[in-house]
Amino acid sequence: MIRAAQVAALLVLAVLLGAAGPATSPVGVPEPEGLYTGPQHGYTPATLKGAEAVDLAGLERLVAAPAKPVLLDVAVADRKPEGLPPGRPWLPSHRSIPGSVWMPNAGATPLTPAQEETFLRRVAELTGGDKGRPVVTFCHPDCWGSWNAGKRLVLAGYAAVHWFPLGTEGWQDAHETAVIKPDPAWTAASVPRGDAQR
Amino acid sequence: MKSVTIALGLSLAAAALSAGAARAGATDSDDERAGRWSEIRKEIFGDRAITPSDTAVTIDAPVRALDASLVPIGLQMADKEQVKAISFIIDDNPTPYAAHVTFGPAADPGELKLRVRVNNYTNVHAVVETKDGRFFESTKFVKASGGCSAPMGMSDEEAMKGMGDMRMKFAESQPGKPVEATLMIRHPNFSGMQMNQVTRDYTPARYIQTIDVHRGDTLVFHMDGDISIATNPVINFALLPAGSGPIKVRASDNQQGSWEQTFTIPAASH
Repeated sequence: MIRAAQVAALLVLAVLLGAAGPATSPVGVPEPEGLYTGPQHGYTPATLKGAEAVDLAGLERLVAAPAKPVLLDVAVADRKPEGLPPGRPWLPSHRSIPGSVWMPNAGATPLTPAQEETFLRRVAELTGGDKGRPVVTFCHPDCWGSWNAGKRLVLAGYAAVHWFPLGTEGWQDAHETAVIKPDPAWTAASVPRGDAQR
Repeated sequence: MKSVTIALGLSLAAAALSAGAARAGATDSDDERAGRWSEIRKEIFGDRAITPSDTAVTIDAPVRALDASLVPIGLQMADKEQVKAISFIIDDNPTPYAAHVTFGPAADPGELKLRVRVNNYTNVHAVVETKDGRFFESTKFVKASGGCSAPMGMSDEEAMKGMGDMRMKFAESQPGKPVEATLMIRHPNFSGMQMNQVTRDYTPARYIQTIDVHRGDTLVFHMDGDISIATNPVINFALLPAGSGPIKVRASDNQQGSWEQTFTIPAASH
């Protein structure tokens, strides 16, 4: 009840501030120098230097193009709650943009050197070693994980990095999603502890 | 200020979700969703036959929820004399089995309403069990996302203030007609998937596990709840006009919390 009232009040505030949506923060978040080290859920910048921020139409064009992009989902996996009674069905299913490779929380900071190495090695494998191949990073709206993942790739010399800040939510509004499993090579390298992304 | 930012972010995310085209037609995804349902159904109901029915139970739910952590669900049961119990399942929630309600002799099981959390665009299912042991199901697609992990926008301590306090509202009733009642229980119903925005730790699951409602000594309903039930559970139900005595509610959570409260039904207006 209180939360609903807060949200309602803040919606009004948001309108006053002239907010347009999750991709454009009302406060004009600047890009950090390097990777962002704060909480993953929060306003993100409108841009990512060295990469292209794409909206839904932009992503649709990329996916339809002959040079298929590599789609990288870095959403955190649902965390099994503590305090669930034994025997309670726990059946998490992760929905994503069809054809995506899911590396849970690969946008975390910091990654261990081993995790960083695995991430870049997997992207190299997925792009066939072609740093000019389009890559799209995404997670959820208002989520720094995908921004960081894109930043990592820019820093690693990838030339066609795309960042889709609307995430799976922005996709599923107009398109079907698919249930996908985490990338086995990534999970073998120990997934970083999850920070809430939404 | 922190909670302000978060609430603002949530509201904006919700606003963004309200734009956009309709869902695409039948595809592989529909097969996938059907596969998911048979997996869950087997887990909960084993090999029992469940017949699809548009009448045994109908689900009233918003196609697109305004708040994924507070999605209103209405369940209507046409052949109410035959209803023994109802289950509500949110297929794509990580704990799909949201609620199981068994009706007692004092209930009028024509309608039940509750509010749930929805983690992702998903099918929801209602399954009715009849007194003669048959099962009927119906389904609906709900567009909402992020409801299981949405933070409450306040500290855990604040969210737990007055935990277990109950209120009950009765709709104005007429003699000989069912008495509609709304039970509200103050309880954060922490899902265990919500992060404390200050400490950045996950708040352990603490949720209402059972609710027993009696009229006098006669059972109205027994409910088994889950982390998919929204914060401050609200349940609408109905009582048969016959019967006497106050309404006694007993609720317990998964951390040994237990609360009881008694309510008096106002006299029917003539």
